[in-house]
Amino acid sequence: MMADAKNFYNNQIVIRLVQFSVIWAVAAIAAGVYISAELLWPQLDFGQFWLSFGRLRPLHTNGIIFGFGVSALMATAFYSVQRTCHVPLFAPRLAWFCCYGWQLLVLTGGLSLLAGFNTSKEYAELEWPFDIVIAIIWVCFGIVFFGTIARRKIKAIYISNWFYGALIIVIAMLHIVNSLAIPVTLGKSYSLYAGAQDAVVQWWYGHNAVGFLLTGGFLGMMYYFLPKHAGRPIWSYRLSIVAFWAFTYSYIWAGPHHLHYNSIPEWVQSLGMVMSVVLLAPSWATMINGVMTVSTAWEKLRSDPALKFIVLSLAFYGLATFEGPMMSIRSVNVVSHFTDWTIGHVHSGALGWNAMITYGTFYFMVPRLVGRELYSTPLANLHFWLALAGTMLYIMAMWAAGVSQGLLWLSVDQIGELSFSFKDIMASMAPYYALRLVAGLIFLLGTLLMAYNLFMTLKGQQPVRSAPPLMQPAHGVG
Amino acid sequence: MRRLRIAVTADEAIAMSKEFYSKLLLESVYQPLVSFEQLSKANPSVLGVFFRYSLWLMVLPPAFALIGAANFGWRLGAPDPLLISADALLLVSIGYFLALIFGLFSTALISRWMASTYGANTSLGRHMALITVVGQPLAVASVVHLFPDVFVNVLVLIPTMIWSMYLLYKGIPIALETPPERGMLMASSLVGWLLVAAVSLLGMSMSLWTLGIGPLLGV
Repeated sequence: MMADAKNFYNNQIVIRLVQFSVIWAVAAIAAGVYISAELLWPQLDFGQFWLSFGRLRPLHTNGIIFGFGVSALMATAFYSVQRTCHVPLFAPRLAWFCCYGWQLLVLTGGLSLLAGFNTSKEYAELEWPFDIVIAIIWVCFGIVFFGTIARRKIKAIYISNWFYGALIIVIAMLHIVNSLAIPVTLGKSYSLYAGAQDAVVQWWYGHNAVGFLLTGGFLGMMYYFLPKHAGRPIWSYRLSIVAFWAFTYSYIWAGPHHLHYNSIPEWVQSLGMVMSVVLLAPSWATMINGVMTVSTAWEKLRSDPALKFIVLSLAFYGLATFEGPMMSIRSVNVVSHFTDWTIGHVHSGALGWNAMITYGTFYFMVPRLVGRELYSTPLANLHFWLALAGTMLYIMAMWAAGVSQGLLWLSVDQIGELSFSFKDIMASMAPYYALRLVAGLIFLLGTLLMAYNLFMTLKGQQPVRSAPPLMQPAHGVG
Repeated sequence: MRRLRIAVTADEAIAMSKEFYSKLLLESVYQPLVSFEQLSKANPSVLGVFFRYSLWLMVLPPAFALIGAANFGWRLGAPDPLLISADALLLVSIGYFLALIFGLFSTALISRWMASTYGANTSLGRHMALITVVGQPLAVASVVHLFPDVFVNVLVLIPTMIWSMYLLYKGIPIALETPPERGMLMASSLVGWLLVAAVSLLGMSMSLWTLGIGPLLGV
């Protein structure tokens, strides 16, 4: 019995989004490497404003988060929601609008950052016209995703869809509230909030963008693709549900830990700190769930290089979700804040967790989307070791730099005078920045190998035509 | 990888356990994989491993750190070294030593706890010895603490740590008798724990500095 032509899963859009995601990964990591070189050799801006650190840095972060990250999340959400609901995508043309609209937004938004248009809000630097476009595309993404879930043939909504759903709803809420502004010209606006309130709203947005996009969204990826890789059900489904609600409840309060010792009420800072520490429990519950799922499927490691990425991403997820709460404790934060330790922390999450789980997922998904083996398993294995070496070198260099900075900035002599000048301290960081540059180059090289490997896997291939199973499972049919 | 294929009788096993610690201490530096093989044929006692092997290695880093910092002061990047009083240095070094002992026991216990999940041997003495062999390059390389410049220490200790990680991944399947794939999973889990332990050490140090123990900070 043949499946109806309209009943095939939409694989083409997933492939396109993966391609865009890989392109943004290469471009944004290269931008990161370039600005790390600028910290060593400032003359690398060649006197051009658009090549200055201040303009390239938001391009790097926006390119990674919105270009690489969101494209990967859209790809994996569209791939998994069809398969967990046993229906093709709802409103496929709207899905294509999201796909290309988002890429156009990232491209033009990136160019606007290079041109100097910037709200000065971290991770929300794009000016108001782009904010409106983001909101429109995001709502369309939600319509496609939730429309697919509404038409599902499986009664239960699988846990990965809860995380993707939280990503869509919470990011929409955060983005719209934080971006409320009074436009002055096409390229300039002023936040609707003033002073300390602006800071609180900004970090409510900023931290939860990390929480619901870089953590929650990628947990959705983990909950679908890890059991698929392992060929086993998730170790404890109940634990995943408990962890989801605990995660959703506690993350939303944690933002004020970015504003310790600032001009916001102390109780707000303390609340942010306490909720950040509480957050460790659901984060680690998820990590344990992932580790235990994969621990029963060790034979797969013989034939599946992608699984190594996912295993290691869980270790870095464990590190980053422990380090974050610890750094939110005020007595640690007083030393660590504004140092390069924070940069190291962010990259243990971004490189070790986000990039590694995405790379592992792409190595799993792309061959299946075109119905052929991965072009080169040895290249994927080499990529794994490059990614691990790059990540480790990066975070070690930043730990050492951060601790040195924290100590030296705060060192006082017997009469209470600062012992060292800020300028001298920063000048002495050059060797660590050189190590970080090497780490970034190693990680970029691995990403280029993956881009080549995936390109050769996709070359000349058409997406497979896969349809929902004709036989529905005995349990959970709506 | 070279595997020793020796049929071990009961008498040989007893003889091996007598020579075990002295061989382990020396061989694990230049022939770590052979040490892992030997470890897989022995079930050393926890106290035996600790007092005859681990303890002596763990004395090295705090001792080197104390001598280096007392004589030269830590160079963190500023023109002048950071000089800390002898009393505070002694306190920090004792804390360093205790943290290493805690790290060894907690890692060995966690490793044994994980062993049942990954089908590995559950002898605690063997886990202690394995962790010590893995950490031995770092203990030896801590001689660089005698030259207390943070960047020089980072340059020496990062490659050493990569070597230690290699030993962990290689050593678990051999010493704990589990398939390489399960060993890889177990090693990754232990790396997760060790990264958390390392970052905890940083966090605890900063909390202590804020409380006034260690360098004089204006907080």
